[in-house]
Amino acid sequence: MSLHESAAPDQYLLRELMDGLSLPGRASGLSLGIVGSATYPPLPPGECLRTCLDGDPGEVASRGCPFLAGAARNNIDLKHLRDGRCPKDYQVAAQHTILGGEPAVLITVEGKPETRGATGNLPARAPRGAAEAELLGHLDTAARLVQSVGLLLEENQGFANEVLQNYEQLNLIFDLTQQISQVTDVQAIERLLLQRVARLLVSECVYLLTSTYGSAGASPSQYGSAGASPSPNECRAYAAGGDTQGPKPVPPISPDEVKAAADFVRRTRQVHVRLVGDQHVIAGPLVRLDDKVDVMLAVRRASQGVFYSGDMMLIESVLAFGGQIISNTELHERLRRMSLEVTRAMVSAIDKKDHYTSGHSERVGFLTRLTAAELGISSAEQQNMGWSGLLHDVGKIGIPEEILCKPGKLTAEEFEVIKQHPRMGYEILKPIASMGVILDGILHHHEYPDGSGYPAGLAGEAIPLVARIIHVADTFDALTSTRSYRRAFGIEQALEIIREDQGTRIDAEVAEAFFQALAAYRRDAPDDFAARFARVNVAAGPRTGRPSEREVEHANP
Amino acid sequence: MSRILVAEDDPHILRLISMWLKRQGHDVLEARHGLAARDLLQAEPVDVLISDINMPGLDGLELIEAVVPAGLVRRGVVVLTNRWDHGEIRTRLAAWGVHVLPKPFSPSRLSELIESLTSSDVTEPQA
Repeated sequence: MSLHESAAPDQYLLRELMDGLSLPGRASGLSLGIVGSATYPPLPPGECLRTCLDGDPGEVASRGCPFLAGAARNNIDLKHLRDGRCPKDYQVAAQHTILGGEPAVLITVEGKPETRGATGNLPARAPRGAAEAELLGHLDTAARLVQSVGLLLEENQGFANEVLQNYEQLNLIFDLTQQISQVTDVQAIERLLLQRVARLLVSECVYLLTSTYGSAGASPSQYGSAGASPSPNECRAYAAGGDTQGPKPVPPISPDEVKAAADFVRRTRQVHVRLVGDQHVIAGPLVRLDDKVDVMLAVRRASQGVFYSGDMMLIESVLAFGGQIISNTELHERLRRMSLEVTRAMVSAIDKKDHYTSGHSERVGFLTRLTAAELGISSAEQQNMGWSGLLHDVGKIGIPEEILCKPGKLTAEEFEVIKQHPRMGYEILKPIASMGVILDGILHHHEYPDGSGYPAGLAGEAIPLVARIIHVADTFDALTSTRSYRRAFGIEQALEIIREDQGTRIDAEVAEAFFQALAAYRRDAPDDFAARFARVNVAAGPRTGRPSEREVEHANP
Repeated sequence: MSRILVAEDDPHILRLISMWLKRQGHDVLEARHGLAARDLLQAEPVDVLISDINMPGLDGLELIEAVVPAGLVRRGVVVLTNRWDHGEIRTRLAAWGVHVLPKPFSPSRLSELIESLTSSDVTEPQA
């Protein structure tokens, strides 16, 4: 046991000092203690205490213990000690004094001279008069020091607790950050925030009130109507519309109080603490996209204690962080939807322009993705390639309709115009598409491995892979479609034509992957396949024989 | 009450953990680096070893390698480590059944871990 491990360090130090002051006598000595302090009551000198405690518990006076009797005479409360007896031949004196600025009691125990003689090692006498006063002066100084040491140690303990608590919170925030980064949907983030706030704030319940809560039509009485009791640390988002599954927790506070707290937070955008009945409520703003303010509200039972400024800071930082993440996620989702819609609009514009190609873009996108997957390309890249396939013909928007939809043979000049569509598509999407692979596919989907394609006349490996994939998908879908200048080929025929062109007009390796992917698709999802290629056998009936040179050449403009 | 050795080179964290555990009634030994920890353990085994990974002299992994197979830790080992080497450390330590807490560690989690390690009936979890 050392000073800083003692539960009452000043008392500990005091006793050490007193022991030092006591002469090596058995039962003589001094004891000092603050009067009325429950924590640090006066203790009798060491040996005397031990002697006393050997006795039977009972009335102090009748036990004949001079120490305890002395204490009793001076109204010193020694109930914390076991009652007992000191040998009768000891003189015990207790006197009031001031110690460390506080009233204290000095107890002296002294053996009688005759006993002294018998044991031979008792002190000659306890301090008296001037010497005693001097000793008390020293003790007073010592007591002040001891008290300040005690205070410092207590303070130290307090700081340590605070640091540990901060560790706890920091740990939770770290975890939250880590977990949130792996979550991509807004509701999951909300759930995580609720759970974490409940844990961080040691709350009975936490609610998230959406920005529509309390507005017209959203009756606050819906709040908690389902009747399940809230479980500690387990909370659910509560939206005014009641959009959460499962039983809702009963609100520990009234709907009016919830609304009042929420309104206050919305108005001030500040964390807000209030006492409702005997429950403590803390509420803070969760600012979402478009400046909408949700309110997170946590409730503590009276026994869980009040919310301190540390709690306010905590909820503030967690909500600021959470709001940012939710806003970003919402924004990301919105942009994604927007780009999807824009793309759909573009694709539909192409298909409207050349009604023979209706559904062509979508199928090429699909087949491109299928083939890319077969080639073992990463799923993110597959997606980009799919987009490129979907948009590969976007340049047709810039080709005059009379050429695009001309039945029969194209003139050489007209064909030159058709050949501009990859470049046009590239130019149209260049300012928008940030993915190089999307533009590559659009610009080069008419390049042939033998270098005879357009617009750049690239050959072999120089043609971007995405373009080679789209080219195969595009050729297949064009051959199996009826065009203004010819009827459709059957699937087997189309595959045969592609096979014949492998290595010259069609990349051999990509074609193999395409065959595999298509066969697997046909086998594994026959209904889906039939729906997608229904027109091949139904619309015009399959054509037979090989297409003419000219037909293949621009089978897929 | 369990006998616990804390090996940690940051004196403040060491002190903090030590105070925290003592207050819960444990008998706590402190070591500022791996070598001191190993010497203490060789003098007398403990129930639980709480160790940092990055320490001068003998690091946490080397310390564990030196003392756990030798049976100097009776109940279990808790490693406190930085988050960024979390995954890698966890893999390396998995073989010994060592518990890993990322820093800043959660004091309540640490208490729970020690509680579960010392209250179980298994006397030799470090098989």
